[in-house]
Amino acid sequence: MLRFFAAFVLGKAAQAGCALLSRVSRRKGTTLPGAVAIRICPEFIARIPKPARIVAVTGTNGKTTTSNLLRDGLRRLGCSVLNNSAGGNINTGIATSLLHGVSLFGRVRQELAVLEVDERSARTVFPGLQPDLMIVTNLTRDSIMRNAHPAYIRDILTDYMPEKTKLILNADSLIAARVAPDNPRVYFGVGPMDGDKTVSTNRINDVCVCPRCHSVMTYEYLRYSDVGRVRCPGCGFATPDYDYAARQVDLPGGVFRFSGRGESMELPLIHASVFNLYNQVAAMTALMELGYSMEQAAEALKGVKINATRFDVLPVGDRKVVSIFCKDKNAYAVSRVLEYILAQPGPKEILFYNNSVGDTAHWSENTCWLYDCDFELLREETVRRVVVYGDRGRDLKLRLLLAGVPEERISRVDQPEQGIACLELPAADTVYVLYGSDSIDMGKALAERIAGHIRSHGGGRRV
Amino acid sequence: MMTVELLYPEIANLYGELGNIEYLQRSVPACDVRRTGLEDRPAFLDGGVDLVYMGSMTERAQSVAAARLAPFREEIRRAVEEGQAFLITGNAMELFGTGIDDTDGTHVDGLGLFPFHTTRDMLGRYNSLYLGKYGDTDIVGYKSQFTQSFPDGPIPPLFETVRGPGMNRQTGPEGIRYKNFMATYLLGPLLVLNPPFLVHLVESLTGNTPFPAFEQAAMAAYWARVAEYSNPRRGFTY
Repeated sequence: MLRFFAAFVLGKAAQAGCALLSRVSRRKGTTLPGAVAIRICPEFIARIPKPARIVAVTGTNGKTTTSNLLRDGLRRLGCSVLNNSAGGNINTGIATSLLHGVSLFGRVRQELAVLEVDERSARTVFPGLQPDLMIVTNLTRDSIMRNAHPAYIRDILTDYMPEKTKLILNADSLIAARVAPDNPRVYFGVGPMDGDKTVSTNRINDVCVCPRCHSVMTYEYLRYSDVGRVRCPGCGFATPDYDYAARQVDLPGGVFRFSGRGESMELPLIHASVFNLYNQVAAMTALMELGYSMEQAAEALKGVKINATRFDVLPVGDRKVVSIFCKDKNAYAVSRVLEYILAQPGPKEILFYNNSVGDTAHWSENTCWLYDCDFELLREETVRRVVVYGDRGRDLKLRLLLAGVPEERISRVDQPEQGIACLELPAADTVYVLYGSDSIDMGKALAERIAGHIRSHGGGRRV
Repeated sequence: MMTVELLYPEIANLYGELGNIEYLQRSVPACDVRRTGLEDRPAFLDGGVDLVYMGSMTERAQSVAAARLAPFREEIRRAVEEGQAFLITGNAMELFGTGIDDTDGTHVDGLGLFPFHTTRDMLGRYNSLYLGKYGDTDIVGYKSQFTQSFPDGPIPPLFETVRGPGMNRQTGPEGIRYKNFMATYLLGPLLVLNPPFLVHLVESLTGNTPFPAFEQAAMAAYWARVAEYSNPRRGFTY
């Protein structure tokens, strides 16, 4: 107890110091207070008082967006919410957020916590944290160094999942749907929609064979990669039925019908992309599992926006500069972004700037993911230019050539800003700036510079 | 005509490794690729295959692949002795040793074709860059694994290590080269990263010298990487 008390006091002191520093430096988000507290008291997360209810959000992709949607929705419903969006999603970040939620006298300030949890950190987070609900958005390939493969992450989540936590699982992501099979659970998913396939045309498909009998699986419908409804013709094993679902999805019209608990209603899409539809359905499901009615949940999420650090549009006359977070070293996530871009009308120019600049400081990026990623999508003629930069730009250029992108449409530059001069800016052009987790500031600043460049050229009338 | 057999591509396909075969196809005119699934008898056992390729897989998939290959053990051994060419990457190599012991107590029997055993620790993933030599040719690549392998007898290596770990963190020699059997822990797009190695490989298989696809771009990336990895100040582990 003494150890916890010391950790709490020193964590609070670190928090105050960090708050002061962040005011001076105008930077936010540090996990130092939590790191200090855990260093002093390894059971800090278990011991610190917490909100009465906890919803955890994990998965390979979409956990930040889903967590933010849920947080914003709950606040609109009048619920006070503790959230770790400003900090980290590993044990130190979560400890920091929990510290924020407790007064110096130990009073818990919020009714409920929505905590994004790194899918690999179950081992260090869950012994001390027992979420009431846990959303698993999906489990897919990610950084091979940290995450190896999705079945490895599923096993970690299964091994360390608190036994009473109720799971909210993506039924269309079979590997996620099989997390912690003994835990109580509900499933969400997206029913058949226009554009579905029955055979995977993506480079990643981790559900080729049945996990029980190893027969080749067949898809009733498939969205992308291995996300969809799949069945084994050998033993009948299949993805589970939905408890909550999106159906009658009209992406261009921006609406879908949400159903669950025997009722249904039409809802506006928060973002016209399938991957964000899954995030929206996950958030709706969680709100209803927290006891809100479908009407309340729908109203709570109405008009909620995707965080501008993830997706932002700068209109400049008839042109646009769109900046998109494009998770580095994650072929699955990058492929979804490329699919989204290809689905948009008009000519496109892409600055593919998500090469892991952070890696350059201490080692060299592992580029295996390039050959799991669907760069073949960029062969389309509407993609007028792809700009790559730096050392990894050489690897990207080769990958684009192998994908069938004509060489005259590829530019490699040494510095990011040199890419601006490569843009052709035809009428109705959209310039996409894709940045990674360690190049967010660079990507946002570059998008602004490109918008300025278009304005300074008379709205970009060069054709 | 060159025929490549892809063994169990439905499960042995992690880390972009099928990119190796695509690059081979783009670099070698008339390269025929046969995909052998889990239910099929490996085609090379009946001849007519120039190169057998198998890539990285999950730990469960290793158990499945080991079980599917086990009935063909003696035929595979004979094929290796008779000079059948193989290129085996990542943890697929472990299937050709005596077995894999996991720290959780489970064991996977290997084919026992080469004298080494493997230990696996799912809490101990290690990542490294790799710089080595194939004859006079620089080899660059990646390692990312839960396992280490330990020789129990002499094993001729595929690569001589310059920087980075070999079969395990303490051993320099990397991979296996016995007759035309080649295996390495290097994973991912090995042939794309190393166009000169691709040239050596195809020359040994067909007697013809190929032109690696997009040679200029491929060689620019290759030389940049060799220079990076040769820089002693470059960090090598993650």
